[in-house]
Amino acid sequence: MTHAAGGSVRPDRPPRRPRTLGIAAAVIAFSLFAAREVGFDPSTFWEVWSNPLWEKFWPIPWDWVTDGSNVMGPLIETFQIATISTILGCSLALPVSFAMSSLTTPNRPTYLVSRAVMNVVRAVPDLFWAKLMVTAVGIGAFAGSWALTIFSLAVMVKLFSETVDGADPGPLEAARAAGGRHTPSVRTGMLPTVFPDYVAHALYVFELNIRASIVLGLVGAGGIGRVIEAQRQFFRFDRILGMLVIIFVVVFVIEQASVALRKRLV
Amino acid sequence: MIRLEDLSVTYPGGVEALRGIDLTIDDGEFVVVVGLSGAGKSTLLRVLNGLVPATSGSVIVEGTQVVGASPATLRQIRSGIGMIFQTFNLVNRTTVLNNVLMGRLSVVPAWRSTLGLWPAKDREAAMVALERVGIVEKAYVRASNLSGGQQQRVGIARALAQEPGLMLADEPVTALDPVTSRHVMGDLQRINRELGITTVVNLHFLDLAREYGRRLVGLRDGEVVFDGDIGDVNDETFRDIYGRSITAEDMLAMGDNPASPPVDSEGV
Amino acid sequence: MTATTQRPTPPRGARERRGALAVVLVVAMVWSLSGLEVTLDRLLGAPGDAWAILRQMVPPAFARVYERGAVGKVFESVYIAWIGTVIGAVLSLPLAFMAAHNVAPVWIRVPIRQFFNAIRAVPELILAVILIPITGLGPWAGTLAIGIHSIGTLGKWATESIESIDSGPIEAVESTGGRWVSSMRWAVFPQVMSTISSYWLFRFEINVRASAVLGMIGAGGVGSELVSHLVFRDFPAASAVLVFTIAVVLTIDTASAAVRRRIIRGGVGRPDEPSRSGEALADLTGIRL
Repeated sequence: MTHAAGGSVRPDRPPRRPRTLGIAAAVIAFSLFAAREVGFDPSTFWEVWSNPLWEKFWPIPWDWVTDGSNVMGPLIETFQIATISTILGCSLALPVSFAMSSLTTPNRPTYLVSRAVMNVVRAVPDLFWAKLMVTAVGIGAFAGSWALTIFSLAVMVKLFSETVDGADPGPLEAARAAGGRHTPSVRTGMLPTVFPDYVAHALYVFELNIRASIVLGLVGAGGIGRVIEAQRQFFRFDRILGMLVIIFVVVFVIEQASVALRKRLV
Repeated sequence: MIRLEDLSVTYPGGVEALRGIDLTIDDGEFVVVVGLSGAGKSTLLRVLNGLVPATSGSVIVEGTQVVGASPATLRQIRSGIGMIFQTFNLVNRTTVLNNVLMGRLSVVPAWRSTLGLWPAKDREAAMVALERVGIVEKAYVRASNLSGGQQQRVGIARALAQEPGLMLADEPVTALDPVTSRHVMGDLQRINRELGITTVVNLHFLDLAREYGRRLVGLRDGEVVFDGDIGDVNDETFRDIYGRSITAEDMLAMGDNPASPPVDSEGV
Repeated sequence: MTATTQRPTPPRGARERRGALAVVLVVAMVWSLSGLEVTLDRLLGAPGDAWAILRQMVPPAFARVYERGAVGKVFESVYIAWIGTVIGAVLSLPLAFMAAHNVAPVWIRVPIRQFFNAIRAVPELILAVILIPITGLGPWAGTLAIGIHSIGTLGKWATESIESIDSGPIEAVESTGGRWVSSMRWAVFPQVMSTISSYWLFRFEINVRASAVLGMIGAGGVGSELVSHLVFRDFPAASAVLVFTIAVVLTIDTASAAVRRRIIRGGVGRPDEPSRSGEALADLTGIRL
């Protein structure tokens, strides 16, 4: 080798860093501990096939499922909950998002408070809100709508305030330079830029709400979940399976429409 | 020995990349293939190891028919052919040594290589290959931390680790600066001379072709329009191959002295 | 300025579209409200009802709830989420390699993609409803529900990140005569592993919330605590459980996000490398489920 000299000495294999090994060991130890705590039972994976309950899933009683008052009525109620919650939640989210973005916030305290509050709101799982609302205003779709409105608000401000953060600050600066007050400046200097994203995010939140609204009834907050909960008490899994089929067909159609609309917007 | 007979390649979509190629390359040759982009240089290299399937004709490498070979046969053929790429095709997120060990995949049992339990003799082969290109000290460095020239030398080491009888280099220096280009071409030339590995290199810098090639093959529109000794080549030949006059862009055009000792321009 | 330049009239389209949007929204609202048994006094009463409960929630009864083992229940939710994520990660990883269009043939990737889509469509709660009669009440039902659901989302994200890799190294492995398994292990796996492991962590964050909810129908974890306190209208206790839950969720979110940032930043090759698809990145950074 002509030029292979000059520093080309085989290096020693670097030892695995003790920190890497430590992290790996900790992760494995935690997993084993957690597995014991949750009653990890791999036998479920094969014993599940021989479970006698499976017989209760079949055949699907189609005449019960297709009877309007059993499934379609509650399903429509579900979508009503999702719709009103999306509209209310996303409307509320518009000003809150602007308050939560460092570009458009009126002042520092508003910024900090809105961020902190929204982080806490988002840390509460959606069905916890539903249960709280059921307790406050009583069982039914009314409670569910409130819960999903809060959930929509929490998700929407997260998505939309990040969009605002990433938007071009130039027009806003221009509006302020022209002596505009805060709200009109944001309205003319920022909103037009981010409005298409706002609509796209709102449609996305609507898709999430459609999915979330299906399970609301399991905690008493109205919609199709109430029927699932009732049938589960009677072990009528055949009816549940039938309902699920209907739900997924309808949800799939709505989602595809919403996705197509979103693609056109962005 | 490599023998191409009446070889044609038509891509799905109807582009005819190669048309009726007849070519024989003897063991130990150093062949430079030139031509405009789109002339079929890349396709020619890739039919030799079956990465691009031939539409018709025959490709015989070391006595084995490549056209229509079964996947197992194809792997067998490829294991004896090293390949070097314009964009290096290294895995940036892993070490140099792991990249070079990929050259041993065809001889190591799949379960061992998948678990990373490379046999000692394959590690040794990878180290030797790195020593040949002079960057063994980088063996445990991530590939992404190397300069372009060093990355291409890792690419050469990966091909060398296959202990191949044939080396294919697809525009190996296009992504490199002039000094590093000469260095890499020098490596290829040295490997060809010292190890007797048959080498086929695609180039589009004509001065490099003249400087390093011994035999020159010119492609135009998927056909061989020149095949001969590099000594017989003049500017007229290149004009014929390119179908236009030669410009400064066709030259690597470094005014330096080729006799000067190779310098590692990366200085790492 | 010459006088021939006329001032244009404002274009019609924009205003009409805005009008149409408003009509659609109003109709949607009216339609929705019609089905929700909303009466005026209910609407007016709701803030008062909520305020009454809120007032009773302060101060939270931390000590009483702690003695009942609520903190342990919160941790149980974390364990459920963790093991569920592990199950989802382990099972989805090999499947993702068979679902990506750049590395898998069509006859295998189409069924696997459909499989991902199908499980993603079933919410964890519904899975738990189906699983509870089979496994019995308790954390194992919740773990399985989360694990199964995670296969769908993690599989989809992993597939997307495999589809966005640089295909050069695959060609390199093929040119050396390596097998499919080898090219997955040595050309694809190193490129995607940091992204995919950060997806796992992100999914874990989502799963912590999901497992808290699962307890509400008896699938283990803190949800059952909240429900029982609310049913007995023990609001100080309920709010203490809520505070514990929020604290743990926020801690995990923060820690996990920090680790994810490290993984992604430490994992990049060249900074200009286009490695992750936009959709997947949005999945990672946003709340996308």
